Amino acid sequence: MLSRRNLLMTAIAVPALMTAGPTLAADGEVTISHYFTGELGLGGLKEIFAEFQDETGIAVKDSPIGHEDFKTGILVRAAGNNLPDVFSYWAGARTQFVIDSDSLRPIDDMWNANGLNDVVAKSVADGATLYDGKRYLVPFGYHYAGMFYNTAVLEEAGITEMPESWGDFLAMCETLKSNGVTPIALGSKNRWPAQFWFDYLILRTAGPDYRAKLMDGSASYDDDEVKKAMAMWKELIDKGYFVDNANADTWTDASDKVARGDAAMTLMGTWITGYWNGIGLEPGGDYDFFEFPQVEAGVPNAVVGPVDGLVISANAANPEDAEKLLNFMISDTDVQAKWAGIQGALSANVNVDDSAYTPVMQHALKAVAGADAFVFNYDLSTPPPVAEVGLSMFARFMDDPSKVDDILAQASEDAEKAFAE
Amino acid sequence: MERETGVWRLVFLALPLGVFTLLVIWPLASSFYYSFTNWNGFSAEYDYVGFENFAKLWTDKLFFNAAVNTVIWMVAAILLPTLLGLVLALLIDSRIPGGSVFKSIFYFPICLSAVVVGQIWIWIYQPDWGLLNTAVNAAVGSDLSFAWLAKPGTALGSVIVAWSWQQTGLSMVIYLAGLTSISEDLLEVCEIEGASIWQRIRIVVIPLLTPATVVVVALSVINSLKGFEILYIMTGGGPFNSSDTLAMHMYNESFKKYLMGYGSAISVVLFLVALTIIGIYFRELKKVDEIYG
Repeated sequence: MLSRRNLLMTAIAVPALMTAGPTLAADGEVTISHYFTGELGLGGLKEIFAEFQDETGIAVKDSPIGHEDFKTGILVRAAGNNLPDVFSYWAGARTQFVIDSDSLRPIDDMWNANGLNDVVAKSVADGATLYDGKRYLVPFGYHYAGMFYNTAVLEEAGITEMPESWGDFLAMCETLKSNGVTPIALGSKNRWPAQFWFDYLILRTAGPDYRAKLMDGSASYDDDEVKKAMAMWKELIDKGYFVDNANADTWTDASDKVARGDAAMTLMGTWITGYWNGIGLEPGGDYDFFEFPQVEAGVPNAVVGPVDGLVISANAANPEDAEKLLNFMISDTDVQAKWAGIQGALSANVNVDDSAYTPVMQHALKAVAGADAFVFNYDLSTPPPVAEVGLSMFARFMDDPSKVDDILAQASEDAEKAFAE
Repeated sequence: MERETGVWRLVFLALPLGVFTLLVIWPLASSFYYSFTNWNGFSAEYDYVGFENFAKLWTDKLFFNAAVNTVIWMVAAILLPTLLGLVLALLIDSRIPGGSVFKSIFYFPICLSAVVVGQIWIWIYQPDWGLLNTAVNAAVGSDLSFAWLAKPGTALGSVIVAWSWQQTGLSMVIYLAGLTSISEDLLEVCEIEGASIWQRIRIVVIPLLTPATVVVVALSVINSLKGFEILYIMTGGGPFNSSDTLAMHMYNESFKKYLMGYGSAISVVLFLVALTIIGIYFRELKKVDEIYG
């Protein structure tokens, strides 16, 4: 008979045993954690994982974490020496950081065995997948930052030609302003949306090589190159081309202003298309984008954007199957097309058919293909402690551009310290 | 029988103590340990750096900024809801018409989560169409579009107002309960003896409300330590760190800059400060207990 004591012991022991079970993956199972949550992204991924299982018999054990929480969540798992076999990460300085911590496994053999050189677009492959001469990451999708505008607003102001030079751009802003529309929306409450302005102004004036130096600490925020870019940005604000109180708005607030016609355009990544499509705007009809105009002739044309990657942790329990999953995620054109559609992202797989994209995304693809270089946006290009300094500098600048000299002097000092960390 | 009870005590205590050790003691000990290292959060390797992280605190402008903000936050987040709650309780207790309706209205915000309260106040402070600027403009005919949460001078204060709006209801209800225990006869005697309303409140009511005040302040202290949430939602420590508190600074250093060792040092300081405040509070609480039983 079950005594009360036995019952009690059972009550204590059972949950204890359940929680104490091994968290390692079983045979034929790959564990993955990623930041693609939300109704659309997550649902689509689950279907993709199910297809993978049908094809290979390997189950994918999925533990998604929201985008912001992922940044802490993955660190907590790393601290517990409990990283999943595969996880999503942002290509660039952040991935470099994880590699420097010996937490990732190189995938050169898998890359070569599957001929991924012929699958992944070269402009993305070189910058996003190679670290210290080895391959570590497959680009699952990427984005491009351009000047997204409200078609009707531009038409009303009589603007039919998109600006190709800085002079054109200034003239366009002036026309819009005299038509009673604020030319540029920016929502820099969370700081990062302002970075694209800095990125493009530096890239178009000083060029990608100088920017790379600034990002790795061999150039300074006190340099004339930086001062010049900031002065151009300041000119736009002084002339009243930016919305007031940019720091009070988020990027979606700014996107709403453009969608409503309160402002004409916003410099943003292609994920804005996912947001606008979601609120019923028609790509190509209601909105489109133009490329950030040329400023100095002869400077190579670089485009900016983030790459979402998948990486394998150094102590993955099941590295062979993890490699199969990574290959499937990038090589399978159906998977890539489906994901691009769901996310409003571009596929890094060159075999994905153009018909998978909206007209605006096809346009974005052309912009990337026609560029001399693809670089990561600011907070993915420079080490995380420095990125914090720069992002605060942008927000401070938006709050009071007249203090630009002090702000740059301060940033230069703070960045130097941050590089030392 | 006696021995068996002892065994049972152990059995029943084992699980909660185990959980407490695992979830509280262990992480706390880990923080102390990592605060003496240069661990980056990811790497399996790190070095012991002695007191380097603590020395860095002295040169970290953002740490000082966060420490000052934390003091402002603690003082305001304890004082404002307590004082406002007392005033509201006295008003409602004076049997003004519709008192119970007001009581429900004032209590209502405490039922909302910090996320909801934060979002409501983000709308109120919205520069172009928010309630605050709109109301001011309608009242004085101005053309104000001030961004309360986006300006370094007003961000923290604006969040404190939102926080007080939510917390006042709680202290009001506790004070109301305290007021019911004050004898009517006593107040009548005061009145007959010629004490003014102000004298009655100051000399009789407030001292007799001390047990209620103890509870209100205790709850305010505990709640204000948890104030990370509403600040995170409303300003995220911004603009440019102007409303950072120590908890937020610790989070930024640890998780945004990947400086886990330094972040741990900040958390150790925060822990010691909290321990000191709670220690002082318990000592004072004991005195009150001795007086009021």
